Amino acid sequence: MLTVRGLTRRFGQLTVLDDVSFGLAAGRLAVVVGPNGSGKTTLLRCVVGADRPDAGEVLLDGRRCYETDARTRALLAAALDDIDFFPDLSVVEHLELVAYAHGGSGATVAEVIAELGLERARDQLPSTLSSGQRRRLALASCFVRPRRLLVLDEPEQRLDARGRAWLADRLLREKRAGTAVLMATHDAELAAATADDRLEIGGGA
Amino acid sequence: MSTELGVRPGSPPDARRLRRRLRRTRRRHRTVSLGDVLTDAYVLVLFAGMYGWALVSEVRDYLGSPSGRQGDPGDRYWLGVAAALAVAGLAWRGLRAVGPLVVSPAGQSWVVSSPVDRRGWLLPRFVVLLFAAVAGGGLVGLAAAVATGAGGVTDLAGSAVAGAACGTLAVASAVVAQGSPRRAGWARFLDGGLFAAAAVVAAALVAGHLTGFSVPPPTASLGWALGSAAVPAVVVAVLRAYRALPSVDRASLVSGAQVADAAAGAALLLDPSFLTGLVESRRWRSIGVVSSRRFRPLGRFGVLVQAELWRPVRHPSALVVWVALLLTLYAVAVALPTLAGPAQVVLGFLAVGRLTGGLRAVGRSAGLRRSLGGGDTVLNLAHLVVPAVSVLIWYAVSLPMVRAGVGVLDGLLVLGTVAAAYRAATRPPMTYGGVAVDTPVGMIPVDLIRQVVRGPDVVGALIVAQLLWP
Repeated sequence: MLTVRGLTRRFGQLTVLDDVSFGLAAGRLAVVVGPNGSGKTTLLRCVVGADRPDAGEVLLDGRRCYETDARTRALLAAALDDIDFFPDLSVVEHLELVAYAHGGSGATVAEVIAELGLERARDQLPSTLSSGQRRRLALASCFVRPRRLLVLDEPEQRLDARGRAWLADRLLREKRAGTAVLMATHDAELAAATADDRLEIGGGA
Repeated sequence: MSTELGVRPGSPPDARRLRRRLRRTRRRHRTVSLGDVLTDAYVLVLFAGMYGWALVSEVRDYLGSPSGRQGDPGDRYWLGVAAALAVAGLAWRGLRAVGPLVVSPAGQSWVVSSPVDRRGWLLPRFVVLLFAAVAGGGLVGLAAAVATGAGGVTDLAGSAVAGAACGTLAVASAVVAQGSPRRAGWARFLDGGLFAAAAVVAAALVAGHLTGFSVPPPTASLGWALGSAAVPAVVVAVLRAYRALPSVDRASLVSGAQVADAAAGAALLLDPSFLTGLVESRRWRSIGVVSSRRFRPLGRFGVLVQAELWRPVRHPSALVVWVALLLTLYAVAVALPTLAGPAQVVLGFLAVGRLTGGLRAVGRSAGLRRSLGGGDTVLNLAHLVVPAVSVLIWYAVSLPMVRAGVGVLDGLLVLGTVAAAYRAATRPPMTYGGVAVDTPVGMIPVDLIRQVVRGPDVVGALIVAQLLWP
């Protein structure tokens, strides 16, 4: 499903990612682990096309993956830490917008809102949401649209214990549905419960 | 509870329908009416026009006055050419930093990340950008012609056409570069090339003056020639930019939106630190890693000064700007001798500003001051050593072009410029409360004005002192 070959990213003289290569099959979850500053977020940003690697390539189903390709954006759902919100759209409107932009009707929006415990916040504007609710909304944006690859950057952040339990369950169900998941996390329990593969980067850092 | 996982892929809507839907949804919650937006736009255009025209008239009056005509006409013309090249370099750098195509961070997160047609989504922005480039470039060309004393309708129209053509060419070329970053190595070096060309023209102007050689200005206006020559290039660039729209990737939109947000914040809140902070952060990120050194045991004060000295060595752009501003002063002194005095103070203030990074850092961060320990006075003094030395050198090397001999005035200017740099670098964070005064641009808090003019106020006083000094 996902193949990464020789990915390298530098900031000036500092090499953050050095020749990173791995593969991820459909229905499997790979967890990216490493100390702070090891390049986990940079790796995920390069995979989704939010950052440009200096060398290397990302392939989806054997085809070179370009963020500008509509097919790539249709297959790949991501929740990174750079998500922003329209200040004048409510929670439910954000999710319906995503569903519509992916050719859907928004039929699953209500279900996803309920599953993520956002029913009481469905009509709230983003500026009134807590950091945990914003995180849930970001995650929800991945589940109201079709996806074959899910990229998550520390999805457990700002979730309470119940939310973390839900997340583990959801990721297991995503795998069973055939979705490949690439996830960076510092949560050892979440990784142990869900991960099939472990990708360690920046070990020497 | 579990949701249906298999959301079925459908064909994404076209960009126009999605845009219409988003606009309709947002309108439901919007409290600002179209009338409010048009009123704001009218006020903005009115004040920009008023103050812009006032500036153009002042420049025109000065250049037409006996003071403005003291230099050689050829020197004045080539100084204008050097200034135009430098401004073009700055404009290109700005365009590239912003994008120039920008999508808000929310738009990127919720719409641009979907399979909606990228060209369809970006096309309206591209068209608006082109219209803005035509209008803005044309106005700048017209203003330049008026300011430099062009009188005939043909000359004015020629300058407007040249400005519009150059503006459109620049914007379209920047979009081409945004759509193909890997193949656009030329775009990275174009601003450097324009700055180098400006420096060469300015250096030739100064050298020519010193050796008694002057290149006369062209006898005919070049506006129409430049505009006509640029039109085919504009057509090609716009077509290529249109073709490049689907290739504009999220990485470039992310980067540009950060700069656009910071610039908008700086303009709205009159606080340039929004933008300068981002620029500084990116400047140091481009270095990435440095070879760490051990401090020489010269005591607390000496160690702080050493850290200050390493900064320009690690990123020498501040020194390059310093030298470029000195060259600018030399060129101004040759072409517009009556402006040499004020230019010496203003450019000296700008040159030292790039060397006050340490002072700005300790000034804005109470946490940093606490961790460094000691009193604030010693900390500020230690971080003032490098700026003070740079001001001293500035006046030493610029003096021969401005005045004959050293006097009390020069001591006053050195101390005053150091004080201005100190005041500007230790400007406290903006506060928007307190007493407000009614101004032609609306109610403005007094504290805000005080903070904006902190630093430039001393520069203004020094210019007045210099003009009145016997």
